[in-house]
Amino acid sequence: MTSAHRGTIFLETARIVAHHSPAPEQWLLTLEAPECARRAAPGQFVHLQCDPALPMRRPLSLLRVNPDQGWVEILYKVIGQGTRQLAQQQTGQALSVMGPIGQPFRPDPQRPRALLLGGGVGMPPMIFLADRLRRDPQAKPCVFLGSELPFPFPIRPSRVLIPGLPADAIGTLALLEDWGIPCRLSSARGQPGCHAGYVTDLARAYLTPLDAATRDQTALYACGPEPMLRAVAGLAREFDLPCQVSLEEFMACAVGGCAGCVVPIHTANGIAMKRVCVDGPVFPAAAVYPA
Amino acid sequence: MAPACPDDPLRIRFCGLDFANPVVLLSGCVGFGEEYTRVAGFSNRDVGAICLKGTTATARLGNAPHRIWETTGGMLNAIGLQNPGVEAVVRDILPTLDFSETRFIANVSGSTVEEYAEVTRRFDDSPIDAIEINISCPNVKEGGVAFGNDPEMSARVVAACRQQTSKPLITKLSPNQTDIQANARRCIEAGSDAFAVINTLQGMAVDLRTRRAILGNIQGGLSGPAIKPIALLKVYQVAQIARPHGIPIIGQGGIASAEDALEFLIAGASAVGVGTALFYDPLIVPRITAGIRAYLDAQGMRHVGELVGSIQALSGTPGAPHCP
Ligand SMILES: Cc1cc2nc3c(=O)[nH]c(=O)nc-3n(C[C@H](O)[C@H](O)[C@H](O)COP(=O)(O)OP(=O)(O)OC[C@H]3O[C@@H](n4cnc5c(N)ncnc54)[C@H](O)[C@@H]3O)c2cc1C
Ligand SMILES: Cc1cc2nc3c(=O)[nH]c(=O)nc-3n(C[C@H](O)[C@H](O)[C@H](O)COP(=O)(O)O)c2cc1C
Ligand code: FES
Repeated sequence: MTSAHRGTIFLETARIVAHHSPAPEQWLLTLEAPECARRAAPGQFVHLQCDPALPMRRPLSLLRVNPDQGWVEILYKVIGQGTRQLAQQQTGQALSVMGPIGQPFRPDPQRPRALLLGGGVGMPPMIFLADRLRRDPQAKPCVFLGSELPFPFPIRPSRVLIPGLPADAIGTLALLEDWGIPCRLSSARGQPGCHAGYVTDLARAYLTPLDAATRDQTALYACGPEPMLRAVAGLAREFDLPCQVSLEEFMACAVGGCAGCVVPIHTANGIAMKRVCVDGPVFPAAAVYPA
Repeated sequence: MAPACPDDPLRIRFCGLDFANPVVLLSGCVGFGEEYTRVAGFSNRDVGAICLKGTTATARLGNAPHRIWETTGGMLNAIGLQNPGVEAVVRDILPTLDFSETRFIANVSGSTVEEYAEVTRRFDDSPIDAIEINISCPNVKEGGVAFGNDPEMSARVVAACRQQTSKPLITKLSPNQTDIQANARRCIEAGSDAFAVINTLQGMAVDLRTRRAILGNIQGGLSGPAIKPIALLKVYQVAQIARPHGIPIIGQGGIASAEDALEFLIAGASAVGVGTALFYDPLIVPRITAGIRAYLDAQGMRHVGELVGSIQALSGTPGAPHCP
């Protein structure tokens, strides 16, 4: 009689294990939240109390989780009051965390070549997905990340060749290189080792030389600012590839109760207003950006 | 009004319905009754009743994003009554609810008096426990607050719904009107069994970067702690009219603690509603009920009904309004 979703989101008073700013305006936050860590999947997020004085929580994606040690990690950019207050919170203090929330990315086992595209604060879910895919012997992930701010992780020249890419795409995140996952970076502002342009430029250069059989094994997964997602959806259409995108919208409850976070989604029965928090945040790109 | 139930100091009867306690989850904040059960430790059994999302005769997509915005001590919302239409609610959603856990109250809206009546008629023929008439939604162009701010229109809507049902009818009053007492009086004459006081206050916010209104609907409804003092006064005012008729009130607007809830009970509410506070603390209800219990103990009271409307006259001028 009652819903299968019961008891799937956990409210935890999470101690801050680590909190530092690896690059301007960006913070890495590690929280002790064992229930969330045990169940989290890439694409899911937490709804976090940034400060007791604010009436609303803030949605932030999961970057990495450790189910055994019971921590979750978040990468956030300082935007306004909430994230500014969050940046003030010290190691050892506790924050109320709700999670994991939302529909995760669902990698297609028929298409082991997973092309992961992350822009700005859309990077965290893609790194989490890469972390999961490296444990799958069938999967062949490749990651392109773009950022206008300095990257919040160490960069080094990659030793892994990716055919077709522009000559300035040299750098990778040390983290992904250590995981054995091919990765390249882009920055329209021009950063050392990064392609001067967009992640979608790298994706196009990667997809163009693929033969039909390889293309049939490829799928796109993306998270980032709206113009980037729109461009990625366009690429998916052009190369006839399935594509999942993760969306953002202002949230109040983050459990499906208020219908505050909806976006228009195209369905067989016309437009439906779907909740980013529990129906998403991951949606098929074609349903968000139809031809 | 809420006869003492010797076994449990918090159990009340509200319009003949058995509420496990006086805390009600508010319309529009908890979807169609199952959404918050996602949160581990949350149980529908912990609340007296749940008001479902505003429902209209046919499906509505609601307003364009953005629909919500944080404000000082609260938030604005402009959902625009997104709902699948009463037929889908009765056919597809009500059968999935567990009525052994709590009482479920429908929330009825419409653009015309006829639509309110039609939705009420459909809910009358359903397992729903009671019907709340939302004549105070600030986020739709027709109906809603346009009806609720005019006592005559309010009474017409209530009378039309009354004809369609013998289930308890709760009229949800708007704070955006000049004389809420006149409105309450007319709604009682038209057959309202209870009141919900208050719905949200109309407000807006501007994006300084774009110089556009933040909400897709331009204006929205303000809720949360920021509106509590206003809500409390409105409850106190409506109680003056309603309590002599034995008509109970669900007091609401910014309740975020047991202390807030107690203030509303003392001001004259028989039950208290929690909406926006859930967004910050999904497990707030057991904390509120525990706090009410502790207060009753400390005051030597045996039942929450003893608190309702127990506000004391100011010394010197018993019962008289206090003018600064
Ligand atoms: C599912 C999801 C995952 C996210 N993951 C991340 C992440 O991993 N890292 C990161 O840095 N940011 C992420 N964001 C965006 C992040 O939620 C906002 O940047 C943050 O809420 C801004 O709050 P603020 O008070 O600092 O800014 P303000 O602009 O002052 O916020 C005002 C209000 O608007 C809301 N708001 C503003 N921008 C956004 C936005 N882009 N998305 C949702 N709500 C917004 C705030 O929550 C707040 O209620 C995510 C958003 C969503 C919906
Ligand atoms: C997101 C949101 C949606 C709402 N939708 C409805 C609705 O459909 N019908 C209704 O009668 N009231 C609706 N309300 C008003 C609430 O039920 C409640 O009366 C109001 O928010 C005041 O209580 P609060 O401060 O505890 O939230 C809504 C409020 C919010 C915040
Ligand atoms: S934030 Fe309330 S439904 Fe998504």
